[in-house]
Amino acid sequence: MSKAVIIDDEIQIRRLLRMVLEARGYEVSEAAEGTTGLQEIAFRRPDVVLLDLGLPGLGGLEVLKRLREWSEVPVLILSVRDQEAVKVEALESGADDYVTKPFGTAELLVRLTVIQRRRFTRQSPHVTAGPLTLDLLHHEATLHGEQLKLTPLEFALLKILTEHAGRIITQKQIIDHLWPTQTSDASEGLRVHISHLRRKLGPTGPRLINEPGIGYRLVDE
Amino acid sequence: MPLPIKPEARSKQETASAALVAQYSGACMIVLLLATICWGLLPLTGYLFSALVFLMAIVLAGTRWNRGPVILMAVMCALVWNFIYIPPRFTLHIARLEDAVMFVLFFVVALSMGHLIARLREREEALERHHQEREALLAEKHRANLLAESERLHRTLLDSVSHELKTPIAIIRTALDGLREGDPYATEIATATRRLQRIVDSFLEMTRVESEALTPRPDWCEVSDILQAATTPLEPELRDHPISLTGMEGMPLLRLDSRLLAQALGNVLHNSTVHAPPGSPIEVHAAIKQVQLGQGEVELTVHDHGPGLTPEAARQVFDKFYRAPDAPAGGTGLGLAIARGLVRALQGDITAGNHPEGGALFTVRLPVQIHQTPS
Repeated sequence: MSKAVIIDDEIQIRRLLRMVLEARGYEVSEAAEGTTGLQEIAFRRPDVVLLDLGLPGLGGLEVLKRLREWSEVPVLILSVRDQEAVKVEALESGADDYVTKPFGTAELLVRLTVIQRRRFTRQSPHVTAGPLTLDLLHHEATLHGEQLKLTPLEFALLKILTEHAGRIITQKQIIDHLWPTQTSDASEGLRVHISHLRRKLGPTGPRLINEPGIGYRLVDE
Repeated sequence: MPLPIKPEARSKQETASAALVAQYSGACMIVLLLATICWGLLPLTGYLFSALVFLMAIVLAGTRWNRGPVILMAVMCALVWNFIYIPPRFTLHIARLEDAVMFVLFFVVALSMGHLIARLREREEALERHHQEREALLAEKHRANLLAESERLHRTLLDSVSHELKTPIAIIRTALDGLREGDPYATEIATATRRLQRIVDSFLEMTRVESEALTPRPDWCEVSDILQAATTPLEPELRDHPISLTGMEGMPLLRLDSRLLAQALGNVLHNSTVHAPPGSPIEVHAAIKQVQLGQGEVELTVHDHGPGLTPEAARQVFDKFYRAPDAPAGGTGLGLAIARGLVRALQGDITAGNHPEGGALFTVRLPVQIHQTPS
């Protein structure tokens, strides 16, 4: 049974999330503020954490930064609209994804499932997302069994997006991954490669969804 | 090459030199006047008295006048005193040693007095100027602080109001998902909640647009991403309105704040879904016009197949709280006002009119940077 910890100052949100998660078989514990939330995580060792960004006192971002000093547990951020800068900072401080209030339970559960897939524990040299398969050994990508012609940079870009399939990945994270030594603004180059990749993936492949001001999400459905 | 002097600087200079001339002539007049008076008093007082009178005059002049006239006055006093009062009179010759020493001392005292007092006054003036500048700076800083403080307060208030309004809506929305699927009551609550959410969002967004808290953060983006971001939140409304997108194929990257533009476009699209009959398509067209290398204008048009705009509506449709007479209940009259605020924040403009084939036509035009490398 998966364990979840909810950290939110709104009692109704906590109660609702508890109902939703318990219906899906989660064992849920909750905290109304950051410090007790961190204690709860240390004590329960949950499989996933739902963290509100707008906590009173010790803010959500600070809770996340402290948590990341000793734990790699997947964290889903609960935020409101117009917090793009804070969301990006949270994602770059180690949050795995976010949902924006008001959110539907279906969306919430999808995000929770995706971020719980263990990160970076690959058993085979293949990564797949729907009809797309990446062979990391031979640096080959196939879509519906047909090989895609990709440049090394496009392959690297597709790889990081596919490894995080379904999860948001910020523009800066992608740029740091593709051009580790780049200091100037590389967003232009990234857009160009994304636009080429989209063309090569075509209408039948996974979609590369842009979330303005935040980053990209590879979605296969 | 001499710098051209501005008219006001020249007139200021002229006033200053006129004052200087007045001071020099004043110095001469005063010395002559005092010499005459002391001459009259000489039988009563002796010649040392006149030296003291001259010294006092120099000190007084020093408190009002510039250095030049005061020094001139000191020199004149010394010479006049020597010439008229020190025996033998009416020669510059000095007979006795004490008188010679006294003359030299008088000369030194008068000169240094004039010099010292003038310097003191210059210092005082500099201090005063400095003080005034400081005051002005402090006042400026105080004003800036007040402004920042009021902005911060505004921001905090908006954030907390926004949180208080949005949280209950989020709770209702999440709770609804837990109700039985297809329950007609739940559907009604869901529709009303969406409407409420839209109203709250509109008011908050309008406040944000009006408080000029919008700072565009331009970045390279694809027009299709903007359309995607604009239409995703409108999915339920757009179910009844097939959207056709044209002109976006092969368009180069543009540099602009895609989030603001997507929001503006979303509001325009929502307006069309409200006014056009269900089932009618909405056509979105994009075009760019390159003015010079890398710079140009993007034009986005939204054409619906509704009743179109009356001339009155076309004029007022972007006004805050304006609602067309035939508008269905439930709108706030803010959506298009927000759209215009957002577009203007991006240095662009939005216009409304009717398409020649019928239906309303909204046009957004923005200056943009256009990406150069052929893709």
